[in-house]
Amino acid sequence: MAGVSLENWQERIRDPKIECMSRDEMSALQSEKLVKQVKRVYENVPFYRRKMQQKGVEPGDIRGIEDIGKLPFTTKEDLRDNYPFGLLAVPQEKIARVQGTSGTTGKLTLASYTKYDVEVWGECVARALTMAGLTSEDRIHICYGYGLFTGGMGLDYGAMQLGAMAIPMSAGNTQRQMMCMEDFGATAFACTPSYALYLAESIQEAGLVDRMQLKAGIHGAEPWTEEMRRKIEDILHINCFDIYGLCEVTGPGVALDCIHHEGLHVYEDHFYPELINPATYEPCADGETGELVFTTLSKEGMPLIRYRTKDLTSMTHGTCKCGRTLVRIHKFTGRTDDMKVIRGVNVFPTQVETALLSMGGGVAPHYLMIVDRENNMDVLTVMVEVDERYFSDEIRKLDELKNKVAAVLKQALGVSVRVKLVEPKTIQRSEGKAKRVIDNRQM
Amino acid sequence: MIKQLSVFVENKPGSLMEVTSKLTEAHINIRAVASFDTPEFGILRLVVDKPTEAKGYLTERGFVVRVNDVIGAELEDKKGNLNQMLAVLAENSINVRYIYSFVIREGRAPVLVFSTDDYEKAASILKDAGVKMVDESDL
Repeated sequence: MAGVSLENWQERIRDPKIECMSRDEMSALQSEKLVKQVKRVYENVPFYRRKMQQKGVEPGDIRGIEDIGKLPFTTKEDLRDNYPFGLLAVPQEKIARVQGTSGTTGKLTLASYTKYDVEVWGECVARALTMAGLTSEDRIHICYGYGLFTGGMGLDYGAMQLGAMAIPMSAGNTQRQMMCMEDFGATAFACTPSYALYLAESIQEAGLVDRMQLKAGIHGAEPWTEEMRRKIEDILHINCFDIYGLCEVTGPGVALDCIHHEGLHVYEDHFYPELINPATYEPCADGETGELVFTTLSKEGMPLIRYRTKDLTSMTHGTCKCGRTLVRIHKFTGRTDDMKVIRGVNVFPTQVETALLSMGGGVAPHYLMIVDRENNMDVLTVMVEVDERYFSDEIRKLDELKNKVAAVLKQALGVSVRVKLVEPKTIQRSEGKAKRVIDNRQM
Repeated sequence: MIKQLSVFVENKPGSLMEVTSKLTEAHINIRAVASFDTPEFGILRLVVDKPTEAKGYLTERGFVVRVNDVIGAELEDKKGNLNQMLAVLAENSINVRYIYSFVIREGRAPVLVFSTDDYEKAASILKDAGVKMVDESDL
């Protein structure tokens, strides 16, 4: 019940020199780092040398950050082709650890870190935790999975760098999570937003909200909405923050939103973001939606040059209310590969979530989208859970609810939707990334 | 008045059994049960010996349950008995949503359960027409 309102919020900035740097100073810093990084990868990574030669670019052509557009892109497929250690820029013995995520094709997306890379990672997460109002006095309950997935280790490194106490719970066993959270007096917790909501509801149902000392939640690894954030905040009386990262770039801690929730501040001294039109590769202006592209300016182990994340967002430059000047990326519209084209309309799972939450009750914001093809027509079915408070003894009223959900979704998505009401808690709650879409179409 | 439990169930194998097995676990005795066919989901309606406990037990286990009042009338085993009851309700413009009956009453007369628009008015109309009404305590 230790939630802090904006009125008495005390903004903490771990590294004001970097986080509040002027644009000119930041560009100078990025330029210096990029020039070195390009030289390093050209000399040490055959893959980058070949790609640059194909494009007719030499390290000497890159004199500053403004020249970044001359460099070739790197894609997830490139990572797969060079799996597992083909992109190292240091000798293998310098690699201190690997982290990865399971790809949809079976092979992992693997990232290699030197000791220095791990330190930078921890420092970035520590900056993020500070942005969320945490200090060395806090106790951080980490229920992200520990292992190859970067969530658990990333938050752990950050807590250590901050000097806070880490509670390395890993995912699963909600009863035990609640017990430890209460017994150890956790003041913050970190996990995926879908699990955070599930955990919050479980804490509420068990009547434990008042016995918790939580004040902040750090959630990421899947797209979520403002409505979902408010829902978790309202149940637990805490502030929740959106953490962004991907293992290829470093893991969580690439960006975090501050208390003002007007975009996620990117640690651009280490990770230089660009936003491009995914079809034309042209850069996007502030406010335009495009694909996020990262160049790792500090990474030693497996540097990435203009890595296409497939995440769709928009960017804002300028000083935030919190005082930081770091460029901000906005809530993700989705991923280029989460996006489903249904009868020619682009549909993102987050749109379904926003629409369900906008109804203000009747159904829970847990859903599963199923796309089928019947008689050459795409059919979108959305399974939603009936909310106890709106359950009626009459089939007619349930039909009305179903029709209302269908109408709201059609309005939001622009395609008609078959709604299937299901019993509460039957849609799988994930402890990792939530599976929101099943596509049964044979393309 | 009789307390009835309404449980949201999906139309899929085992969904009714899920409910009955939980009630068995909780040592709750089912007096009457009704479910009607619907394509995707339906409502399982139950009259049980301990409705409040049953709701609590099922809710804790993730079921959506509502307790509502229905009326019960004793049925006599003679021609036209049901018709007579429905006729008085119709004459008084009472809309009957659904009816079902139960018989397990250890030698006593079977009971017909009515869910109607205005159940208090419906109960008094039936009473006035000479129908013997059944209360929770009579079950």
